[in-house]
Amino acid sequence: MDSEMQSFLPILVYFIVVVGFAGASLGISHWIAPKKPTQVKDMPYESGMDPIGDARQHFDVKFYLIAILFLIFEIELLFLYPWAVSAYQAGGLPEVFRGPAFWGVLLFLALLTIGYVYEWRKGGFKWR
Amino acid sequence: MAIFSHPMFIAFVVSVLVIAAIPGICSYLIFAERKIAAWVQDRIGPNRVGPWGLFQPIADGLKFLFKEQVVPNHVNKVIYFLAPAIAVLTTLLAFAVVPFGSTNTQNPEEFQWMIAPGVDIGILFIFAVGSLAVYAIILGGWASNNKYSFLGALRSSAQVISYEIPLGMSILGVVLLTGSLNLERIIEHQAQGFFHWNVWYQPMAFLIFWLAALAETNRLPFDLPECEQELIGGFHTEYSAMKFGMFFLGEYTHMITVSFLLSILFLGGWHFPGLTTLGPNTAGSVALKFIVLFGKMSLFILLIMMIRWTLPRFRFDQLMGLAWKVLIPLALVNLVAAMFVKHYDASPWWLTLVNVGLFFVPAWWASGPIGSMRRPVREVGVGAAARV
Repeated sequence: MDSEMQSFLPILVYFIVVVGFAGASLGISHWIAPKKPTQVKDMPYESGMDPIGDARQHFDVKFYLIAILFLIFEIELLFLYPWAVSAYQAGGLPEVFRGPAFWGVLLFLALLTIGYVYEWRKGGFKWR
Repeated sequence: MAIFSHPMFIAFVVSVLVIAAIPGICSYLIFAERKIAAWVQDRIGPNRVGPWGLFQPIADGLKFLFKEQVVPNHVNKVIYFLAPAIAVLTTLLAFAVVPFGSTNTQNPEEFQWMIAPGVDIGILFIFAVGSLAVYAIILGGWASNNKYSFLGALRSSAQVISYEIPLGMSILGVVLLTGSLNLERIIEHQAQGFFHWNVWYQPMAFLIFWLAALAETNRLPFDLPECEQELIGGFHTEYSAMKFGMFFLGEYTHMITVSFLLSILFLGGWHFPGLTTLGPNTAGSVALKFIVLFGKMSLFILLIMMIRWTLPRFRFDQLMGLAWKVLIPLALVNLVAAMFVKHYDASPWWLTLVNVGLFFVPAWWASGPIGSMRRPVREVGVGAAARV
């Protein structure tokens, strides 16, 4: 195993400890806590009223649109991170490529800005 | 005695210590929050358990354990139990790469005050794991099979993913200037002097990151997912006892991580002017660095709590508008400015200039007639169709 991967091993150890902690607190509380279910306690809480209809109803398509927009911009960010880290580092991008990479990233951002402006004009960010 | 100096053993001990410390710190943060709330509202706050109510957190913790666990019939059992576990898991896991004391990348042999030293993707790891926290909310809300929970989960997922973008974009400028995602390197980059702190060069990015982080942690003024007046408890309406406590633990751990990130990314981490000359690895300097970093972190937590009791909650369309129409363009301009500064090797103070300029543009815009966000978006009547 190379040293790059080795630095992640403590995270694995930590992960196991955290899973143990979460599992233990769920399990112990489940084991200790009293349970006296009644019919009213088992009802969905709706401020004391009898619930009407299913909780899982149709919801606004806007939430999907936001999720799609999020995907686009988040992937944009994911492309930018490697560039931002390596562009001006010794051992990163060779000096010759820095100029083209710089203008390339600017072009990339410009294209996304066009999409962003289009989305704005189309009313994609309007919540109604 | 080789096993005691093995890195995995050290990692295990540190992990256990951190896991033991964080719930304690969180419960006292809740205590602090209640006290602050009380002082802001001219009340006394918890004062019955122990002197000045200092044992209140312990009583609360015991109550989480011994109160009745209501598991309603209508929930999806597996997901219902999984959700609080995920909430705790993701927020605690994000803490793995946060340096909470002195670190030194030049000398990996010396003890590093973090769980996983030398992980080069530091911030990326925190964002990757931290953004999984939305699963806890949406799974909890879905599994509860309750209208309040469902609405809260929906709102929350939209809010959290929207604010993820300004959050990630605002630190790109920092990453570009530092050339590393590793939090230890970012601290060392700023530790060259007081005026190397990133907050001087990118005050706007600092503000964007802070706002986005507040929204990510579901703190007021962005606590739409659980706003009590409208949604009872939002996604955790149907949760009781320890499972409710675990959601709380997740939220407060997230707050601690975010405060650490704010002080590490923008305020120089353990660096403080005048305190760097104590020597590289003496016990005194390690303790000082620890205190400085914790001081900065606590300051942010206190500010976040003060914000909670100062600002009213946003309306949902304002919340989404703030993320998409204000924070993202500002972060983008800041990023482009950072690109030019780095590429042409200009003085970083140009970045300060751009950032200060960025403060005025939205101010001018918000006060002007064109883009005012104070007007409700929904328009009715004849003019509405024509204006779209």
